[in-house]
Amino acid sequence: MSRFAKRFAELKAQDKKAFIPFTLLGFPTVETSKGILKTLIDAKPAALELGFPFSDPVADGPVIQAAVTETLANGYKLPHAFESIAYARSLDADIPIGVLVYYNTILSEGADAFFQQLKNTGADACLIADLPPEEAEEVKPSADLAGIELIFIVSPLTSADRFASFSQYAGAFLYVVSRLGITGTEARYDSRLQELIGTIRQHSDLPLCVGFGISTPEHIQQMKVVGFDGMITGSRIIQVIEEEAKGNGSLADYLATMMQSV
Amino acid sequence: MKTLGKFGRFGGCYAPESLMPALEELEAAFLDIQNDDAFQAEFHDLLQHYAGRPTAMYHAKNLSQQLGGAQIWFKREDLLHGGAHKTNNAIGQALLAKRMGKSRLIAETGAGQHGVATAMAGAMMGMPTEIYMGAIDVKRQAPNVLRMELLGAKVNAVESGGKTLKDAINDAMRDWIANTHNTHYLIGTVAGPHPFPQMVKYFHQVIGIEARQQIIAQAGRLPDAVLACVGGGSNAIGIFQGFMDDTDVKLIGVEPAGHGVHTDFHGAVLAKGTFGVLQGMKSLMLQTDDGQVLNTHSISAGLDYPSVGPEHAYLQEIGRASYVSATDEEALEGFKIVSRSEGILPALESSHALWEAIRLAPTLPKDTILLVNLSGRGDKDLATVREALGG
Repeated sequence: MSRFAKRFAELKAQDKKAFIPFTLLGFPTVETSKGILKTLIDAKPAALELGFPFSDPVADGPVIQAAVTETLANGYKLPHAFESIAYARSLDADIPIGVLVYYNTILSEGADAFFQQLKNTGADACLIADLPPEEAEEVKPSADLAGIELIFIVSPLTSADRFASFSQYAGAFLYVVSRLGITGTEARYDSRLQELIGTIRQHSDLPLCVGFGISTPEHIQQMKVVGFDGMITGSRIIQVIEEEAKGNGSLADYLATMMQSV
Repeated sequence: MKTLGKFGRFGGCYAPESLMPALEELEAAFLDIQNDDAFQAEFHDLLQHYAGRPTAMYHAKNLSQQLGGAQIWFKREDLLHGGAHKTNNAIGQALLAKRMGKSRLIAETGAGQHGVATAMAGAMMGMPTEIYMGAIDVKRQAPNVLRMELLGAKVNAVESGGKTLKDAINDAMRDWIANTHNTHYLIGTVAGPHPFPQMVKYFHQVIGIEARQQIIAQAGRLPDAVLACVGGGSNAIGIFQGFMDDTDVKLIGVEPAGHGVHTDFHGAVLAKGTFGVLQGMKSLMLQTDDGQVLNTHSISAGLDYPSVGPEHAYLQEIGRASYVSATDEEALEGFKIVSRSEGILPALESSHALWEAIRLAPTLPKDTILLVNLSGRGDKDLATVREALGG
């Protein structure tokens, strides 16, 4: 049983939901990012979602784009991402770790080598932001060979007949976007979410985690009511890290608040 | 998707899931209009009476005589309404958007020519239009910013990344992802996810179709080579398309070498790029060895792009087209020579292709024909030229 499957089964048995924080690997610098990973793991979230910085993240909003630009300017290179994943794994042997990557990063390494390094450093699953299921065959054999599950995105516009193409590739959980658009803190959820869950459930038994615009305990409450198994917070964490660096608030406190609400 | 729009190992549809339904819808509409008489009639009527097609084919006799070798001919896309070939595609996609029930247009622009073309189409068809333009380009192409605003478009200066064309495309895509229900993203070059490379080529193939008929009628035969500048590569694909099956006609694309292809300041993607995925497509691109996309440099904002349309990468790979480059200095020299000899101020983008023709002509027999796509007019570049010439 994979770490994700095991963790979601445990949560279900306890009637709990998953809180999954996201941060960018190497942000804002390779050194400080390690402290951030430790803070995240110390908060005991259900899982981690870790992003590989890519210069042109079209599926992400301005917060993450700016964070990537800063990280690259601070000297980040690809080996730093793998080192950071290995560090996170060294802190917690059981926490499921998913990574978010743009396809060009995988191509720069070669798919076989990329997924093997993910596995070697202790990651469990991988979401490729710009690889739709139509093209997933290009990486699926490499991911399978290494034992890395692929995570896919479902949007409120994803039609029922597209789910069929997901199911043969998808693992870990389905990442449901709460609204049309890019990542960010704006909480303007799509009115079709409840309906969407019903449609997905006819095609997949994977846990459903929602992201985009989840930044407060109230948002988590709302998404629990809608029926999601987990909630992913990304852009807001990047902002909290930036604010903490300026002496405002603390990431540990923010994570504790979010954890309480799940 | 009916197809994935591959050109050999290039092209494809590498887009976030949130865009896939919109791309499927667009592909269906694009396939539909190709056999729709009413759409074709309206499109060609607008190309003729609004945009001014066919554009002229001109034998640059002074220039040819001065160089003492091959005969140089210009396909005068600079005479198209708006001042560049971009209008073909803007009208085509705006009509398609309207037919799909979209009420709003967005576009990226580098030099501003595609932004102007989209703003014109938006104004003419009554569709609110927003243009994304890198903050650096907003400054260096100020006259085109004013033109877009006068045409009623909103111009958003993009402050992220390198603040040029690539970053404008990122922000336009982000807008589209959030607003696919009412918005069409009118991409200005033969790049991006399928079906854009095929669709933009389709709307620009009129350049090549006309050019082939005209050169046969006026010169009595096909050209020996067709030359065009290549940034994303839309004008080049448009004219190449007319001669694709004429295997004796050489197709030559000219990339921006900036300060030189051996420096860090150029945009010669086909010469120096490596395989990757950017902005929805597989193509060649300028990138670090760990896959971060590099910023480019060219004196012409319209060629300042770190990747290239996937079909060009394919044409190079199969050997059907060849690609060379011209530096900023060489493009300026081409600009000056053509201005003086023919009384035509070419765009700095087009001046890259003109330079290659000027370089080749003296080495070739007098009955050789070089056809250059003069893709745009140079009025927008006056400030850049003045600065470069030290005025």
